[in-house]
Amino acid sequence: MRRRFCRPPSLLDALPPRPGDLSETDAFDSLGIIASVAPAAPRRSLALHLPWLAAERRHVIGPWASWETERQQRRIVAVSPAAAAAGISPGQTLADAQAILPELTVEPAETLADLAWLRRLALWAQTISPLAAPNPPDGLLLDITGVPHLHGGEDALLHKVVQHLARRGLTVRAAIAGAPAAAAALARATPGRIVPPGAEAEALGPLPLSVLRLPAATAAALHRLGLRRVGDVLRQPRGPLARRFGAALTLALDAATGQHPTPIQPLRPPAAFLASREFLEPLITREALDAVLEVLLGQLCRQLATAGKGARRLLLLGFRVDGTMQALHIGTGLPARDPRHFARLFQPRMEKLEPGFGFERLTLEARFVEDHAAPQASLPSQGGLAAEARQEALAALLDRLAQRLPVWRLEPRESHIPERAVRRRDPFAAIADAAWPGQPRPLRLLRRPLALQVTAPLPDEPPIQLRHGSRVWRVQRAEGPERIEPEWWRPGPQPPFRDYYRVELTSGARLWVCRSGAVVPGETARWWLHGRFA
Amino acid sequence: MPLYPAPPPESPFDQPLDRPAVLAALQARIRRLERGGAAAEAAPIPLCDAIDRHLPAGGLARAGLHEVMAAEPGAAAGFCAMALARTEGTVLWIAAEPDAWPPGLSRFGLSAANLVLVQARRPADALWAMEEALRCPGVAGALLVQAEIDMTAARRLQLAAEAGGALGLLLRPDAAAEEAAPADTLRARGSGQAASAALTRWRVGALGSGGGGRHALGDPRWQLELLRCRGGQPREWQVTWQPAAGCLTVEGAEDAAPESRPARRRVPR
Repeated sequence: MRRRFCRPPSLLDALPPRPGDLSETDAFDSLGIIASVAPAAPRRSLALHLPWLAAERRHVIGPWASWETERQQRRIVAVSPAAAAAGISPGQTLADAQAILPELTVEPAETLADLAWLRRLALWAQTISPLAAPNPPDGLLLDITGVPHLHGGEDALLHKVVQHLARRGLTVRAAIAGAPAAAAALARATPGRIVPPGAEAEALGPLPLSVLRLPAATAAALHRLGLRRVGDVLRQPRGPLARRFGAALTLALDAATGQHPTPIQPLRPPAAFLASREFLEPLITREALDAVLEVLLGQLCRQLATAGKGARRLLLLGFRVDGTMQALHIGTGLPARDPRHFARLFQPRMEKLEPGFGFERLTLEARFVEDHAAPQASLPSQGGLAAEARQEALAALLDRLAQRLPVWRLEPRESHIPERAVRRRDPFAAIADAAWPGQPRPLRLLRRPLALQVTAPLPDEPPIQLRHGSRVWRVQRAEGPERIEPEWWRPGPQPPFRDYYRVELTSGARLWVCRSGAVVPGETARWWLHGRFA
Repeated sequence: MPLYPAPPPESPFDQPLDRPAVLAALQARIRRLERGGAAAEAAPIPLCDAIDRHLPAGGLARAGLHEVMAAEPGAAAGFCAMALARTEGTVLWIAAEPDAWPPGLSRFGLSAANLVLVQARRPADALWAMEEALRCPGVAGALLVQAEIDMTAARRLQLAAEAGGALGLLLRPDAAAEEAAPADTLRARGSGQAASAALTRWRVGALGSGGGGRHALGDPRWQLELLRCRGGQPREWQVTWQPAAGCLTVEGAEDAAPESRPARRRVPR
């Protein structure tokens, strides 16, 4: 069925498909993924406009306004419905507003907090469609292509969204159109409107130009020319318009009419592999969450297995009844698709989910996916497991450890300075073995060298006695010095050279001690314990 | 009708009992029960001939936990590094502050490519990491640096090692001995007589090198004490680590002494 879009029907269509003949769309079909549904399907956008966002976010009662300082003038930026009814509108100076309505409550604007809150709302809106984006300062945009039939049509979807947000105490205006910009404009001007694809220009025609949210200078200039409605501007020849007002105006017009719709930039790109569940009764208990996670992992891993992929990173999203979203993520070092392995990685993290009044939807997404061949099932041989199985078990172990603790390997580095001779790498890195310097080196290197007081017969001679605090050790034998010079080719000031001695105490313990810098007469040399030999 | 049934003619009591064979079979059975079955079949890790002959497994048994008391931190780390290197696989070094340094470890045969370090500041995390590591069939050996460990935790580690087949080493530094300490402090304290779930318990201390002048250190010498050994007798050796040959050599006449018959297992308390 789908293949007919890809190539013209031919005799081949009558034949049964050969196993190797599966096209990419077929593969996606079998996965149950909505992949660019059909070439000709028009995109649909839902725009939400929250006119009282700032007031409703703060749950204000009565006349309220927020202000911000602009060119040394305090101007109103947001008002509550009660204040708007009294004639106060954004853009007025604060003094004017207070003169109109003396009992007005005023507060400084919190633009960033409003934006963050809008973003959280967009996260919740992902329950409607995975392609959701905030449309600052006071709107949301959703790509709902292929979604409305789940809710019984576009009308029902619109109604449902508005109702849901109204229950949370939010006034929302919504509209559906083909182009996102058209939907946003309609949501501001004629809420509740649903425009069929291709009819955007017609619908926008009678609306005032302000719905397009053009730059203030452009809007004022158009107003002076007598162009007050969108239709007026659309009727003008394009060339002179572009010459007079620049490309920005024509781009905005094209975006609104759907000639060149600007795509929605979703909050997070939709995952290619995801599994989700919705619940009539919100989930609260840990047992229920674990059970659902098991089901979701099973689904997701089947999808991954069909596509021959393995996931490097999984994201569990919990959508709460109160409209917030929580996320848990786990990472693996090698691509994997074993549900039990993922379940063990999720296990310690699950307690970080706070169900509150419960989750109404759980979604599991594979964010980073890599090719992963099916492991070959091997018979347990005489020597235990096969090499591949061991490698896999080790990778799984390192994943589990790395979820909780710092885990690393040490890679040799070209440097004479002991603390720079190795560097940390992630535990899955392949480390090449290096040839180390011929001089014996300690096998434990103190991360913080211990300051010592040292007695030496002559300043340049090996130490004969070490002291740390009140404890004294006599040196029986000493080898050295081995001078390690600073790396002059590195930028910045370098520490002075060090003279290292290998000393053996009377107890037999072998230590690596060093004196840093040249011996200056009259000053005590600085000595350090840096490592231990076997 | 006879009052008592006559004994069946082929009763085992009639035949002479093959006592050594029965004992050997029973011992083997007990060993299987103790060591969780198949795990015991893996080849043990050789230390050196004289010591291997004394140990019941013929070396440090894999799939088991071994305690190493550090009378001197450097020497004990060297002993552990040598044992880990001889497992010939990936090894984990778990500590609150892992200070293993590959340039020195490579002299004991432990390559940086096989070494994974895990930092676990809390003892509970460290024990968890050690247990997970020992259970994993992809791990050849794991070392845990931890001062105190209780009987239950040690038993858990022993069971995990039996399940996974890895060599588990428990390096127990002495708090007083941590700061470049001489060996004497430890003798009085952890004398190693406390009960433990580990298969063996060692104490490793350093000895001053015998020959050489004041300006040559020579090869490192260790005092190796086998304090406890399941199925074996305690004993001590003085050994020299020869980095060039990559082997331990035992000093003194003990080496030549004829080996006594296999020691009988002590009754655990």
